[in-house]
Amino acid sequence: MTYMTYRPARAGIGPIGVTALVAAIFVLLFLAGIGFGSTWIPLEHVAHVLFGGGDKTERLVVLQLRLPRVAAAAIAGGAIAFAGYLLQRITRNELASPGVLGVVDGAALGVVLFMAIFSNETNSLIVSVAWQPLAAALGAISAIGLVFLLSGQQASTAIRLLLFGIAVAAVCKALTTIFMLVGPIYQASQAARWLAGAVNTINVTEIQLMLLVLVPTGIVAAIAARHLPPADLDDTSSRSIGLNLPAYRILIFFLAALLTAGAVAFAGGVSFIGLLAPHMARLLVGRARAAGIAVSILLGAIILIGADLLIRVAFAPTEVPAGTVTALIGAPYFLYLLMRKDKNNG
Amino acid sequence: MSIAVTAPRYRSLVMPRSAIYGLLLALLALAWLASMTLGYRLYGLDQVWAALFANDGTEAATVIAGLRLPRALIAPLAGAALGVAGAMVQTLSRNRIASPDTLGLNAGASLAVVVATIVFGVQSLVGLSLAAAFGALATAVVVFGVAAGAGGLSPLKIVLVGVTFASLAHAAVEILLTSNEAQLQQLLFWLSGAFVDRPISLFFNGLPVVLVGAAIAFALASSLDAAQADDSTAAGLGVPLAAVRGAAFVSVSLLTGAAVSMAGPVAFVGLVVPHMARRLVGLQHRHQLTAAALTGAIYTTLADVAARFVIYPVEAPVGAITAVVGAIALLVLLRRRLA
Repeated sequence: MTYMTYRPARAGIGPIGVTALVAAIFVLLFLAGIGFGSTWIPLEHVAHVLFGGGDKTERLVVLQLRLPRVAAAAIAGGAIAFAGYLLQRITRNELASPGVLGVVDGAALGVVLFMAIFSNETNSLIVSVAWQPLAAALGAISAIGLVFLLSGQQASTAIRLLLFGIAVAAVCKALTTIFMLVGPIYQASQAARWLAGAVNTINVTEIQLMLLVLVPTGIVAAIAARHLPPADLDDTSSRSIGLNLPAYRILIFFLAALLTAGAVAFAGGVSFIGLLAPHMARLLVGRARAAGIAVSILLGAIILIGADLLIRVAFAPTEVPAGTVTALIGAPYFLYLLMRKDKNNG
Repeated sequence: MSIAVTAPRYRSLVMPRSAIYGLLLALLALAWLASMTLGYRLYGLDQVWAALFANDGTEAATVIAGLRLPRALIAPLAGAALGVAGAMVQTLSRNRIASPDTLGLNAGASLAVVVATIVFGVQSLVGLSLAAAFGALATAVVVFGVAAGAGGLSPLKIVLVGVTFASLAHAAVEILLTSNEAQLQQLLFWLSGAFVDRPISLFFNGLPVVLVGAAIAFALASSLDAAQADDSTAAGLGVPLAAVRGAAFVSVSLLTGAAVSMAGPVAFVGLVVPHMARRLVGLQHRHQLTAAALTGAIYTTLADVAARFVIYPVEAPVGAITAVVGAIALLVLLRRRLA
């Protein structure tokens, strides 16, 4: 089974060249994200420290204070972008994304429920924080499951599917608000900031947990993605070439939900990256699959690191949640996609 | 996919419309009494009576007159305003899932209030109400303008545009609030969408705006009847469609703006209520709008009472409760393919 015929013949540097270029931008931005702060640390120093060198102060600042924040942004952005890529391809819907299909809000509801149930009066969790991604995953999977159960036959209509997702997301969001008030007050205000998407409060343990969840999931997803149908095939045509495997769809939804949950569990509800990144990737590398996935992930990381950096430059010393910046960029882009004359008529 | 006006759902029920109105009024009175008596503390009707008409300064009288009364006045007024606004929006866009929320009008009104407070330093209640109404109107113009510019969008797409615009407005509000911490406390509280702890002056300030908006709405009732058919039918009946639409949007903006300035964004009231209203009294706007006002008032008053008990003893924001109900209703409407 080959889709080579669908791959556009591209002039210029080709998918691999583009991927390398985007990767280079990612590395530069990653280093800049660490270097920027109350005192600027030159990029070569940052790189030096990351590879085990540098003096004691620099090591402390880079590894303990700044790296977790930038690493969290990179991991969360990449994971959500990958989830968006999977969802857009499997639903053949360029407007689909973890945010609009209720996955992000489902994961957030899972985490808030977890916090409300498993914490004592002193605001500390009575179980290990390692369970938090599991709670997020349960919420995310329930949300996307609900969207597809409810939409049923209507899922094939792009716009309709999104509206089901938006309604499920609204239910989750409202329940989240209610359950935030059940827990202690302090926790509610913390949760409110986390919900809006904040990477600034993440610690090293949480990053390790994110990686523990996301790396295996990402590898499985990358393998599973080999069977994704070409984006421009409609339902009937792909069925005729034997692609409509319900089990395969469920697997992809499940993996996308896990990827989103792993990111949302600690980085909060960062919206619109799952929409933006796969789109930009497709503009850059066309329909090439491996390059599409790689560039999506890299762009997701770039967008979130960039948004976080922008916040630190433009709004310091207040910490505006990173999710608001991505929404300010992503929402108009979504509108543009909606307005464009395309095949996605409701 | 375009939405034709669905066949009239009104089956003459067992009772005539006047009986339905009577029932709704009775229900509203009951809901109002529940709102006055039930809560963290329970009060008797005699205590309510005493607090309202012979305030003797006891603790009960102070709580009833100072805390319960404002919310028992603001909740039904905001609900009625949102109900009428929702019914008009659904008719104008010929879209059964349109509402001030799904079109982003609530969010636009919220953003306008936050901008007016932070950027222009507006403090007066009148100023904030006007800002909210302006925000709702501007959002309506943008959302429908964008839709018209794109060559007429399907009802589903217009809702997607509205929802996206709402998330844009929310992000802007969030940024404005976090970067202006001085205003944060006061505005965050208001933005939560609740009837609790509102000063009674908000009611007296919102009332004239709602009355003007409702007066325009009822004046347009017969034109709206024609407008809910397709454009050419309406034109054939001699209805000046552009003027009717313009006036109707002014009315919708006043009603939404007044509701938002009183209670903050209370979600999905305008989506749910018109469906109940049409079920009860049919499609004629004279009746539809009246029933929407009454059911809206009952709905928000009861939701406000429910908010006190859902996570007792803590009070839930009423906006979260109406959002759960409204979003589930949206799912049902989508499943029934009413949109």
